[in-house]
Amino acid sequence: MNLWHQFLWVIFPYLALVTFVLGHIYRYAYDQFGWTAGSSQLMERRLLMWGVLLFHWGILFVFIGHVMGLLVPIEVYRAMGVSDHSYHLLALWAGTLFGVIALAGILLLNIRRWFISRIRTNTDTMRFLTDGLLLVVIFSGLAATVGYRIYAAQYDLPAEFEYRENIAPWFRSLFYFAPQIELMLEVPLMFQLHVLLAFLLFALWPFSSLVHVFSVPLGYLRRSYIQYRSSNPKAAISREKDRRKSRKPVGVDQGRKE
Amino acid sequence: MAHPTNPLLRGLQYFRKGEESSGGWSEISARDREWEYAYRQRWQHDKIVRSTHGVNCTGSCSWKVYVKDGIITWESQQTDYPSNGPDAPEYEPRGCPRGAAFSWYTYSPIRIKYPYARGVLVDLYREAKAQTGDPLDAWASIVEDPEKAKRYKAARGKGGLVRAAWPEVAEIMAAAHVYTIKKYGPDRIIGFSPIPAMSMASYAGGSRFMSLIGGIVPSFYDWYADLPPSSPQIWGDQTDVPESADWWNASYLMMWGSNVPITRAPDAHFMTEARYKGQKTVVVSPDYSDHTKFADHWLPVQPGTDGALAMAMGHVILKEFFVERQVPYFQEYVRKYTDLPMLVTLREREDGEGRAYVSDRFLHAADLGAEGEASENAEWKTVFMDATSGEPVVPNGSMGHRYGEEGVGKWNLNLGGADPALTLLGSHDELVAVDLPRFDLGDTDEGGVAMRRGVPAKRIGGHLVTTVYDLMLAQYGVGREGMPGEWPTGYDDPEPYTPAWQEEATGVDAGRCTRIAREFARNAERSGGRSMIIMGAGTNHWYHSDQIYRSMLALVLLCGCQGVNGGGWAHYVGQEKVRPITGWSTLAFAFDWARPTRHMAGTALWYLASSQWRYDTFKADEFATPLGKGKLAGKHLADCLALSARLGWLPSYPSFNRNPLEITAEAEAEGISPQEYVVRELKEGRLRFAAEDPDAPENFPRVLTLWRCNLLGSSSKGHEFFLKHLLGVPDAAVRSEESPEELRPTEVTWRETPEGKLDLLTTIDFRKNGSSLYSDIVLPTATWYEKHDISSTDMHPFVHPFNPAITPPWEAKSDWDIFNYVAEAFSELGKKHLGVRKDLVAAPLLHDTPDEISQPSGRVLDWKKGECEPVPGKTMPKLAVIERDYGSVAEKMTAIGPAVENVGIGAKGNNWKPAQEIEYLKGHNGTARGGVADGRPSIKRAEQVCDAILALSGTTNGRMSVEGFKQLETRTGVKLADLSEERAEELITFADITSQPRKVIVSPEWSGTESRTRRYSPFTINVDRSVPWRTLTGRQQFYVDHEWMLEYGEGLPAYRPPMRMAKHLGDIREGNGKAEVVLKYLTPHSKWSIHSEFQDNLMMLTLFRGGPTMWMSDKDAEKIGVKDNDWIEAYNRNGVVSARAVVSHRIPEGTTIMYHSQDRHLNVPISEVSGTRGGTENSLTKIFVKPTHMIGGYAQFSYFFNYYGPTGAQRDELTVIRKRESEVVY
Repeated sequence: MNLWHQFLWVIFPYLALVTFVLGHIYRYAYDQFGWTAGSSQLMERRLLMWGVLLFHWGILFVFIGHVMGLLVPIEVYRAMGVSDHSYHLLALWAGTLFGVIALAGILLLNIRRWFISRIRTNTDTMRFLTDGLLLVVIFSGLAATVGYRIYAAQYDLPAEFEYRENIAPWFRSLFYFAPQIELMLEVPLMFQLHVLLAFLLFALWPFSSLVHVFSVPLGYLRRSYIQYRSSNPKAAISREKDRRKSRKPVGVDQGRKE
Repeated sequence: MAHPTNPLLRGLQYFRKGEESSGGWSEISARDREWEYAYRQRWQHDKIVRSTHGVNCTGSCSWKVYVKDGIITWESQQTDYPSNGPDAPEYEPRGCPRGAAFSWYTYSPIRIKYPYARGVLVDLYREAKAQTGDPLDAWASIVEDPEKAKRYKAARGKGGLVRAAWPEVAEIMAAAHVYTIKKYGPDRIIGFSPIPAMSMASYAGGSRFMSLIGGIVPSFYDWYADLPPSSPQIWGDQTDVPESADWWNASYLMMWGSNVPITRAPDAHFMTEARYKGQKTVVVSPDYSDHTKFADHWLPVQPGTDGALAMAMGHVILKEFFVERQVPYFQEYVRKYTDLPMLVTLREREDGEGRAYVSDRFLHAADLGAEGEASENAEWKTVFMDATSGEPVVPNGSMGHRYGEEGVGKWNLNLGGADPALTLLGSHDELVAVDLPRFDLGDTDEGGVAMRRGVPAKRIGGHLVTTVYDLMLAQYGVGREGMPGEWPTGYDDPEPYTPAWQEEATGVDAGRCTRIAREFARNAERSGGRSMIIMGAGTNHWYHSDQIYRSMLALVLLCGCQGVNGGGWAHYVGQEKVRPITGWSTLAFAFDWARPTRHMAGTALWYLASSQWRYDTFKADEFATPLGKGKLAGKHLADCLALSARLGWLPSYPSFNRNPLEITAEAEAEGISPQEYVVRELKEGRLRFAAEDPDAPENFPRVLTLWRCNLLGSSSKGHEFFLKHLLGVPDAAVRSEESPEELRPTEVTWRETPEGKLDLLTTIDFRKNGSSLYSDIVLPTATWYEKHDISSTDMHPFVHPFNPAITPPWEAKSDWDIFNYVAEAFSELGKKHLGVRKDLVAAPLLHDTPDEISQPSGRVLDWKKGECEPVPGKTMPKLAVIERDYGSVAEKMTAIGPAVENVGIGAKGNNWKPAQEIEYLKGHNGTARGGVADGRPSIKRAEQVCDAILALSGTTNGRMSVEGFKQLETRTGVKLADLSEERAEELITFADITSQPRKVIVSPEWSGTESRTRRYSPFTINVDRSVPWRTLTGRQQFYVDHEWMLEYGEGLPAYRPPMRMAKHLGDIREGNGKAEVVLKYLTPHSKWSIHSEFQDNLMMLTLFRGGPTMWMSDKDAEKIGVKDNDWIEAYNRNGVVSARAVVSHRIPEGTTIMYHSQDRHLNVPISEVSGTRGGTENSLTKIFVKPTHMIGGYAQFSYFFNYYGPTGAQRDELTVIRKRESEVVY
């Protein structure tokens, strides 16, 4: 374990995460108008439809897969009686399926960005970087999942690389501030690369259009159809509550004698 | 926390719960409405201020300037102009994208925020002052030391400006001014600013200061070549033109050399609207330009050959509407309002072809025997023949009636029962052959050859005479039965000036030319003169512009269009109508304290100061016709200038080779009058005119201050010569050699090449432009949204204001305040080092004064050659002595002097003594306290200046107007005062125009009548009320008889082709095996700028290529392998330009267009040809002065500021273009 490892698995991830957090705060505070998905739909629609749908649905399930693999400790699965083999069977097939979908999507989006001149002209460096990085990260993730299996088959290694015993606890260790570097040292290169590239993406995240992830309009799922806005919502709401308490139905003239 | 300002905290609203109602369908959201501010605040503002854009734009649009949090945010169009009534379109809407982009300058990176000075100079000055302790001694020690002087002069244009403090720069300026006055004289100081009409007080700031110290105020209109010399030649008036709303009244409109939608954008709507009324529109232009698309007919004429087209149209009109058929309206008009019936003497001439005559001077009363001779000013009264009696008649209205007792009540155009005979045919004694000049032949000689034709002649008073009309027919080649000479046989005979003949020169189809001419005249016949020609730079920027214009104007005069609403000329280029002219000129030139001011003819000044005369490639006789007397033989153009100086024709400053303050002192020492002293010294050759030795160190200008202009970046024709000789910039790209021995002047002294003449160049501006790059001192001034001022133009009948939306930011001050500030520093030093001195001003013989009847018959008599005696004010300049109190300049600056009511103020021969207005101003503005101006009306602040201008002018003060008309009634004997009586009570104030632009009052200061129901058109008062024009004949003149005009064969309108530069310069290509083309080089006005303004405005730059460009045709581009947007190099003997090519089929082959004022400070690379930075559009130009523009002392050929003088024509130039091969480096 040398300084190099220290940097790769402690300093760099923390730098990336701190940038991620503070960057978002900064961006949110100072660049409200720039907080956007930066859609290029005005310039091209046909490829976008396919690319966006494939990528977003793919990445959504890929994300769930990562939560399952990284955040849920292996002990939980074992306690639940899910065998390692079953887990990996699911992870491989479902992961590959959604990974390929996401990869196809992001590939399409990148091609579109590079080869349609009006989009290229209207794309800034950060967008090229993050779109490209997404492609590389997804590809490396997929390569780690599928590629390792092929690699392992050739060298008679265990068919499944159990990342839940090294990458996952290392990742979690970052969050309780006791990073376990040693766990990452023996991880295959493909996985290491995937992890590092992903952290690089996190570092760029707040300065790119990826911030739109945090603006998923979940509120639409529960809000009322008609929204009334007040310049002083607190007062308006409490007025409304008071009115309710007095049980006067809406629309009845308050001053009229019954 | 109802309104958290931090968006992070506000973000928590997303999680807060609202209050539902209507069964959950609606909800009072927990989120506030903060986000709406994003769009609500966008257009919120604290105040709107009325202002406009100054100096160069003739748009006269009033703008709303919006201010928010103390910041100017944007501007939008005002809409409240005085109405044109229900039957005509309104002035509103007006305002173009250029104006709408102006507020960008306020906080732009090129804004000058602080005073700057050349670092080298500041170091030298501080060091010298520490040693000497006195600013004047410090300045002297720098400029008198050649090594030190060179050190800072050679640094010009190389950066190195450092921030300086106001007191220090004012002190340096004051020291330079006082030193120069003391050592060389006040007439070695120049203050240059153009176009006062569009910010009169700002102009007045500098010009008043210059006038009070005795400095030179050069004219600009002629320098810009916008001044049409034809206007004084024909009318004795300069650029009186219709307001744009009068286009609506025209039923036939020709746009000829003026690109209305681009250069008159806010007014173009009148042109398009008139088309809905049935107006026919004809466009004459070499390129397919923005106005061409409005045309019913487009005549694509070769550049500079417009005169040929006009002459051929004149041929058609004379033939079909005068000879073959007489139109009563035309007949009546030309008899009464033009010189066509006037008699002209014929001079006999012999050559190889036999005996013939040439036209000479007008016959005048003095030629008519004893009775005629006895009449006052007999040599200034022209004669026509009465058709009924066959006797010569001396009609009223000629110049002889304008002055003297006899003419009182007779200076009018009433014929008193006489019937002027247009032709002598029928009553002639003989038919004689006349020789006339033509210039289209003779490839080696610009003077052309002679053509022989004939006129009917009669012998009167010992002279053989004919009429101007008969001469015109001969000139235009319209033959009549039995007339001697050679005449064209028909329209298809290619002889001057038939339609077939013009086709060879112009490329315009002969049939089309005939048709348009016929339509133009027929329309005028049927509409009573409503045929109009809008003309401009495209036809006026040529060396022979006066001839081009005269041939075009002949069309409107023949057809009775001039002085009629909807008809006549509409000259639109660089016009500068200061409507409140009397009040403005009084204050601007400090006539309220002393007069005259050293008004200088701009072109003459710069031609000598920038030593361009040293590079002339031909002499003045080059253009002389073989029919002349050889009066200009062997003369260099600079010799002609020297002659015009000593004959009192043109003003000439610096005047003498001695300090004018010393001259008076020397005279005093001898106990004789300064006039007597000067005449004696001149005669004995001890004193010389500075123009006779312009490169002598004691004779050239030393100090130059620029404000409201970009002389070096935009209007320095012969730019590289300016840099080299006037400024001493080492890397000036002048590429030609000085004239060889045989082409040098005979009278003017030739010296070693002078470089770096100027000791101090100051630029006052709000943006860092080309001029400031080369300046020693740069002062930050207020923009047009930061000061009080007034604007008026000739195209709009209203006056309106500038108002400060904000106070000038950073350390900027308004022009008026800057000059007052400098004046204070100056006065302090002036009091100490100069005190009270007597200044001798040599002033030219002025138009609209009795001076103009000084040199009869236009005979040129040179006292220096002993042809006459030098008599000041008669055969040489007037010599006026002015007492200058150099310690009180600042006090005089800020108060109106007593000469206003004691001596009177005037314009164009009108004179007022407005004591009443002075009393009003004392009350309104308050008075100055203490000093020489104690108790006088204050003009300390610019808005007080504005109110004084408005109160002292007839156009804005009804009482003044009525009084002026009453005076004119006495001289003319016709009724006039009723024109303005309905508005006699009105006085337009600055507060009035700030609330709304106000329509001006008809006034004798101008020639047109106007009212609520009548649009302004020039000379309508002359036509309606029979008031004479201010010419020799009192009529509009086709013929001019000054000796030099005849020498140049320009007595009548004639076609002079563009200068044959290829002949004068030879092959200017460098070759070196590179593909090159030689193209005609035109510099018209741009779509994306107004002069130099806006071309560096980011918003405008985004509209087109964002840097220097030259347009060329696809065919020419192909010849040198250039594709659109490639970098090219253009060069000739004057300099080099580096630009991108705009390749377009709308440009004719053989021509390139570089739009005006592409300044050095914007994206200009290092040139591959010169190795120095590529130039401005004027790097490729050089001026040649035209001797006929120098004529003075003779009726309408008498000098007045911006009225007459050599024009800085730049359009005859050729340039080589090649593709740039090396990498573009900056």
